[in-house]
Amino acid sequence: MPRVNTVLGPIPAEELGLVAVHEHIGYGMPGSELDTKWWKTPEQRYDETVPKLRRFHEYGGGTFVDATGICNGRDIDYYQSLSEKTGVHIVASTGFVGGDTALPFFARASVEYLAEHFIHEITVGIGDTGGKAGIIKVGVSRGGRMTDLDKRIYRAAARASKATGVGILTHLAIDAENAIAIFNEEGLPLDRVLFGHVDDGVNADKTRDTWIAEQGGRIGFDTFGYETELPDPPFWARPRKERLDHFLRFISGEGRIKQVLASADANCSPLGWPGVKGHTVNYIFEDLIPDLRAAGLDETAIKTIFVDNPADFLSIKN
Amino acid sequence: MDAQTAENTVNTVLGPVPAQELGVVAVHEALLSVVPGAEYAFDVTIDRAEIFETLAEKLKDFRGHGGGTIVDSTGMFHGRDVRLYEALSRTTGVHIVASTGQGPEEMLGGYFLTPQTNPPTPWPAEKFADLFTKEVTEGMVVPRVERRGAAGLVVTAATLAGMTATDESLFRGAARAALSTGVPVSIRFGNDAVRDLEVILDEKLPADRVVVGGLDRKDAVAVGAPLEVARRGAYVAIDHVGTEDERHLGDKERVALVAQLVEAGFGERILLSSSATGVAKGHDGNDMPYSYVLSTFAPLLKAQGLSDEDVQRILVDNPRELLSVR
Repeated sequence: MPRVNTVLGPIPAEELGLVAVHEHIGYGMPGSELDTKWWKTPEQRYDETVPKLRRFHEYGGGTFVDATGICNGRDIDYYQSLSEKTGVHIVASTGFVGGDTALPFFARASVEYLAEHFIHEITVGIGDTGGKAGIIKVGVSRGGRMTDLDKRIYRAAARASKATGVGILTHLAIDAENAIAIFNEEGLPLDRVLFGHVDDGVNADKTRDTWIAEQGGRIGFDTFGYETELPDPPFWARPRKERLDHFLRFISGEGRIKQVLASADANCSPLGWPGVKGHTVNYIFEDLIPDLRAAGLDETAIKTIFVDNPADFLSIKN
Repeated sequence: MDAQTAENTVNTVLGPVPAQELGVVAVHEALLSVVPGAEYAFDVTIDRAEIFETLAEKLKDFRGHGGGTIVDSTGMFHGRDVRLYEALSRTTGVHIVASTGQGPEEMLGGYFLTPQTNPPTPWPAEKFADLFTKEVTEGMVVPRVERRGAAGLVVTAATLAGMTATDESLFRGAARAALSTGVPVSIRFGNDAVRDLEVILDEKLPADRVVVGGLDRKDAVAVGAPLEVARRGAYVAIDHVGTEDERHLGDKERVALVAQLVEAGFGERILLSSSATGVAKGHDGNDMPYSYVLSTFAPLLKAQGLSDEDVQRILVDNPRELLSVR
């Protein structure tokens, strides 16, 4: 039976339910922990986080995939307590959001070492928490092109994915030719890769989402809710209708609904940045699914996007 | 000793200590040294009890040879563990001065290099100055938990291939933090010691508040940097004592360099240290006893003809003046 690694142990894929496939309990750039302006008490962190997860659960949410990289404030025992207390399954990541979020120890490491580290976190556990990673995070550094370090991380992730059967989740899908070349060289089937942030306001125009889908990759429209209509939008925001139209246009292509995943990339309690007020994982239930229904999607289509596709993607394939 | 000197204090992890009490000071050493990120590596174990035992043993050895004070020059993001250092200082009786600062650019977290702004502009000097200053005035950070104790100096370093723009921001930020708080700055230069020192001096920090480390590097000695740094009025740290490798002078040549500086009238500007790594995680470190300068190098200096007074000045008086908060 297909199984998925959560922070509290493996669960059957059948139990995942509705999945928010690209979210963050709390994200901070490495080094932000040195700047007291962002510090929060544990009371405050739980206070900001628990009600959002509880609401997610009440709405019918089953699984929260935390896409926070190794050096970005990833905090497994905290996730374990949140999951245990709220009933939301939490899947944690190994890997890095991008080479520019890998600290020097990992930035200097070889592909072989990085792969070994990822495999350890997937098969043995993360630190001494006992929690295992259920996904490998990779990404493109700021600047629009994959750096040498980004490429080493992608290659290590491909090897770890092949060795363990867990999928790869990318931060940004720009420069996808380079990414796909690496995955092909390593012999990794592209349906093990979710190319994320194709809908991001800065990069959407430069992202070859249909081409990636033609190669067999999965496509993540996973910054839903970062909208220019917000009172204080981040620089990667995009007009709400523009993103929705992009999504609808994408899934209108033959068979593409089988390749698409959607999420909100929200922070429950940001760690090294102010976050975006009012934007939570529950955008999926409060805005996105109603918008999709209004656009004519039926319940089967919604189940495909939020339940079946993520279950297939997150299932350990080996 | 004038009245001012008698009242001077130094920031240690256990609080301000009268400068007179420091004794022999090792100005450039590392207690726990962790390459940023290594703490997350699957094959790196951080056993605090074991680390404590190892460091306590080394500090007791240092004290046994007449050592009084260790300066941990690793800055704020290379394994610094203030609470552990407090316990070590209480247990061993060795004064521990911990540092703020970071660098070179390669060692920084992405928060400082590619912030979540568009474009991702690296931090300017003023923000680094504020970050470092608060570690002196409000306490050193235990990440996301608390502030503890006051940093006793600001350390930074330039990229070996040459100072980058972000390195320069670090240097200027470190100089400004020193200027506003009264603690000294300790720099490790890139490919030009004097040029890098000038960046600090350009911020109007008096030269006698600056120590330039790594001046027993062959490339620095080849261009006469130790003498030139001393002429500018900064402290000259010959701080790889005991290291015998391709990049550095050997001890024999270090002795000659010290003698040359004393001869030239710069006895008040010399500092000695070993850059020993008490416990290294994620790198090899430099497994050298903190006592090496006292046990092995100081006798070589005396054999070379330096007086007890000269040696006392280098090991006690100079670091005391440097570390005294002004």
